[in-house]
Amino acid sequence: MALETIGTQVATDSADADVSDPGLLKLRDLIYRISGIYHPDSKFYLLATRARRRMTELNVATFSQYFDQLTTHASRDAEMRRLLNEITIGETYCFRSPAQVDALVKIILPKLLALPGKQSLKKLRIWSAGCSTGEEPYSLSILMMEEVLAKHAGWKVEIIATDLNENSIAKCNEGVYGDYAMRNVTPERRAKYFRAEGNRFRVNDEVRANIRFERLNLQDQSRMLFMRGFDLVFCCNVLIYFDRPAKQRTVEHFHNALVPGGYFFLGECETLFGINDQFRLIHFPGTTGYGKPAPGEEAGGKA
Amino acid sequence: MNPATETLLQRRAAALGNLPAMPSVLQSLGVCLSANPSEVNIERIVELISYDKALAAQCLRMANSALFRGRAEVESIRGAVLALGIWRIRDVVYSSALPNFLAGSDNCMAPPVFWRHALGTALVSQHLAQRLAIPNPDRFYLAGLLHDIGIIANSLLFRDEFARVLHRAETSETPLCEVEQQVLGFTHCESGRILADTWRLPREVASVIEYHHHVRAAGDSVEMSCVIYLADLLCRLRGMGYGYYEARGFDLASEEPWLILQSKYAAAKELDLARFTFELDQRAVEVQELINEIFKDKRIVN
Repeated sequence: MALETIGTQVATDSADADVSDPGLLKLRDLIYRISGIYHPDSKFYLLATRARRRMTELNVATFSQYFDQLTTHASRDAEMRRLLNEITIGETYCFRSPAQVDALVKIILPKLLALPGKQSLKKLRIWSAGCSTGEEPYSLSILMMEEVLAKHAGWKVEIIATDLNENSIAKCNEGVYGDYAMRNVTPERRAKYFRAEGNRFRVNDEVRANIRFERLNLQDQSRMLFMRGFDLVFCCNVLIYFDRPAKQRTVEHFHNALVPGGYFFLGECETLFGINDQFRLIHFPGTTGYGKPAPGEEAGGKA
Repeated sequence: MNPATETLLQRRAAALGNLPAMPSVLQSLGVCLSANPSEVNIERIVELISYDKALAAQCLRMANSALFRGRAEVESIRGAVLALGIWRIRDVVYSSALPNFLAGSDNCMAPPVFWRHALGTALVSQHLAQRLAIPNPDRFYLAGLLHDIGIIANSLLFRDEFARVLHRAETSETPLCEVEQQVLGFTHCESGRILADTWRLPREVASVIEYHHHVRAAGDSVEMSCVIYLADLLCRLRGMGYGYYEARGFDLASEEPWLILQSKYAAAKELDLARFTFELDQRAVEVQELINEIFKDKRIVN
């Protein structure tokens, strides 16, 4: 599915992406170094289009000039933030990564449900950190209803969804979405888990019931200490805004927040390379995640 | 290889009117290339490839594809031989001649699926070797292309049993080698070795074919086997696999082949494996385009 999308977009936007433009290559490396997002050749056109939007705004003609603005100007930090906003915009919609959904359903959930101690506790805890306007936690809730609650009697799922931005949390609580957010939601799921309101869709109460929304600053050390006992943590396109020490601190908190055998997921093209060596990079078909080794797994080997 | 397995395989191959002979163009090419480097006859190589018009056209497309292309587009076989050099041309001819050569046989695995994985592994092993700063990364291509050739041998020699093997590997989420061992008593690594010897493939390639799932036993070819093992796995995880979902997660950095490479090449410590993986998606698109071109009428669904 990802490949099809890439294929069609390359066909329409490839004129924008000049892979040989040294300015654009420098820009890609800078973003990788600062944020941890890497634009592979297949996504180069996205980087070019998005950087160009900022360049039009600033009246800058070439990628090299824009690179200078991002590295030498007094306003470079603010501009990098604006560029990262531009890069991650449109990344938020329900069931965004089919490969990640497959990995959860076919590989990870069966493992988590079988972890020692789970059989008596019968509870899964998930943290959507930096949940933005709620698409991710609601998708997770639906997935858990289908794959855990409907199939395994007596189980509970608790999703904690946090964001720094109060407006985002208000949107989460409202739970009303338009076409863009709903683009990957099948008609069956729309009918089952949403109510149409004009041309928008409101999430049903039973989907909400598994989620608790809270305002949380991931850099608030004392509050982070209380986030514990999660089986899954998702943190998509948030760490990219942090400097290196803040990234390291936050990822360490996530590591502590997970139970042994739990998994941590970043955004699609984000990497933890050089940030943390406690987590293990795990390759699933079409997607990658990070595992906290379960007891007995420390010596290495397959996940 | 266990002597009993070898006897069984050879007896079976003989009983079935044996394994397919290597395509004659590859045989002749092999003879040309076995000469002393200074005496290799370039004109003879150009002539060999140009003799079969369909093959020549396929070779040109291949030479200009993302897998091989250099700075400028090549327009003739002679131009391709001069631009790419004799060893890269050998890779081009293998990649062009083999997929169609075996496509007509009664295969258990759909040829476009098999060759997508083969071309993908060839390309990715070369990239990985390059990233690790291993000398002459181009030499990894042929081993990558042919590493699973035993799957074809199994398809031809043990059709019904091997169809069951593939079905069970797909539905039971068990690695292919394990199911082969259970059902056949040997794996595609061993039958691949027999085919490699029959075809007189280069020693290093034959060794990778036999040991890419047991890299420690690969002797001189251990590092090449490690690279091929990882490239094979990455391809299966990134849209260039066996055509079915392999429901497993892999901690590549803890796998023995990666640890071996890390102990030999400092660049391995600096390689961001996640980023390397993201880059593969573009390779997958390129390989798929080439496969669609080679097998024009048969698209892969999975």
